[in-house]
Amino acid sequence: MIRLEHVSKVYKTSTRPALDNVSVEMDKGEFVFLIGPSGSGKSTFLRLLLREEVPSKGRVYVSNFDVAKMSRRRVPRLRQSIGCVFQDFRLLTNKTVAENVAFALEVIGKPRNTIVKVVPEVLQLVGLDGKADRMPHELSGGEQQRVAIARAFVNRPLVLLADEPTGNLDPDTSQDIMLLLERINRTGTTVLMATHDHSIVDSMRRRVVELDHGRIIRDDARGVYGVGR
Amino acid sequence: MRTSFVFSEVVTGLRRNVTMTIAMILTTAISLGLLGGGLLIVRMVDKMQDNYQSKLEVSVLLTNDVSANDKDCAQQPCAGLRSALETTSGVETVVYENRDKGYERFKQIFEAQPELVKLARPEAIPATFRVKLEDPARAGVIVQAFTGKAGVKAVNDQGEFLGRLLDVFNGLRNIVLGLALVQALAALLLISNTIQVSAFTRRTEVGIMRLVGATRWYTQLPFLIEAVVAGVIGAVVGVGGLALMVWGGTRVSGELFSSQILPPMGLLDVVIISPILLGVAVFISALTGYVTLRLYVRL
Ligand SMILES: Nc1ncnc2c1ncn2[C@@H]1O[C@H](COP(=O)(O)OP(=O)(O)O)[C@@H](O)[C@H]1O
Ligand SMILES: [Mg+2]
Repeated sequence: MIRLEHVSKVYKTSTRPALDNVSVEMDKGEFVFLIGPSGSGKSTFLRLLLREEVPSKGRVYVSNFDVAKMSRRRVPRLRQSIGCVFQDFRLLTNKTVAENVAFALEVIGKPRNTIVKVVPEVLQLVGLDGKADRMPHELSGGEQQRVAIARAFVNRPLVLLADEPTGNLDPDTSQDIMLLLERINRTGTTVLMATHDHSIVDSMRRRVVELDHGRIIRDDARGVYGVGR
Repeated sequence: MRTSFVFSEVVTGLRRNVTMTIAMILTTAISLGLLGGGLLIVRMVDKMQDNYQSKLEVSVLLTNDVSANDKDCAQQPCAGLRSALETTSGVETVVYENRDKGYERFKQIFEAQPELVKLARPEAIPATFRVKLEDPARAGVIVQAFTGKAGVKAVNDQGEFLGRLLDVFNGLRNIVLGLALVQALAALLLISNTIQVSAFTRRTEVGIMRLVGATRWYTQLPFLIEAVVAGVIGAVVGVGGLALMVWGGTRVSGELFSSQILPPMGLLDVVIISPILLGVAVFISALTGYVTLRLYVRL
């Protein structure tokens, strides 16, 4: 589902590579943590998968997309099969919960009757039924992140990328979000989550890929955060 | 493409930035109004030239008697006058225009003022020899030789006067079109700036659109349509203003027009040039929008 072959990324403005000869493969339906300290290259990794950046070296594959080589015209196709969640939620503050979720479908040209049908379904899935008409500022942080997850998942992506989705949430709320991501993973969606939250990684016991200074230093099938330290 | 989505994006975009939108519309309107004014002057000059054919022409107006009775210039004194004109040295062509043809031409010139056409009777139009000279400076010879001859009512050398008048109007046209150009530049920059501001204020939305896989069309079309809508509203306002000025102008300067020196410009003329203005507005705003999005906005 996701494959990187000898991928390096050097940003124009820095000399040290953000990713350094990274090769890794993740299968369909896997749940993978991407861990490492701040600046280790986790966000860069995710941005390469989305084609927000192109690698300086190496090849990137997502599903059957040759991400680094594909033409700009096909990038929307790739992104439509990837869902994205961030630490800062990135909701539209002037739209309601339902409108925020519907927006993701409207802008890719989905017909009205589909939108009317699937938006309530996904809101129920993330546990926000009854809050469809709230504005984002009327929600707690955890609820806002649920909206973001609903928006990322509403088009049933093959892959869900989450960049520190619990970074702004307290531990209890974080646990709820993790349960939600697990539920999404159980529908067959590959989930790749960048984080440096020890307790979450330790409690989930899923595959852990650890980055340090842009290099993969560990890949455990059922890892914890701080092994060997 | 979901039109309702694009439409609501455009409306919110224009509303979010009302002052800028108004500035954009007004500048476009003034620019197009000036362009329209220039085009009206061009039309007026064309009609004037058409009216008097060219500077090289001398008109020999015939008496009412001849005008009424000699349709084909077959009798005297008309036939004699024609051969006399044709044999005068320096004369290039002599065209006989009888009363009916003259009336047709009159109707054509004053098409914008049907009430005037209705008022005028064909009997008031004289039959005319239209004399083209090889050298316009020799018009005086014709005037001297033919004024007062039997069957001749008057001889008009329109060349000199018309030439000066045309110079004035062409100068005026150049000034107006120059102003239109300057104003168009201002409109262009405003459109470009508005799109940039608009794109900046909507960067979160656009970021999300890109992230969820919206195509370039979807992200950019609202901005483009926003510019075109403002351009079209500007054109409508500009045409409206122009129509108002023409309407007011014809009321004030009715005297000048009825003396038949200037062909009148009516609302019909404004209607005729308005598609040009609208087309220019759409083309310029779309092009400006497109170039701005390409060069200055990273969507
Ligand atoms: N847009 C960018 N331009 C230049 N350098 C960047 C950019 N984004 C990230 N970096 C650098 O790349 C390295 C990895 O950053 P990042 O992928 O954001 O790490 P993480 O998400 O693990 O904190 C850091 O040294 C960071 O400063
Ligand atoms: Mg990061």
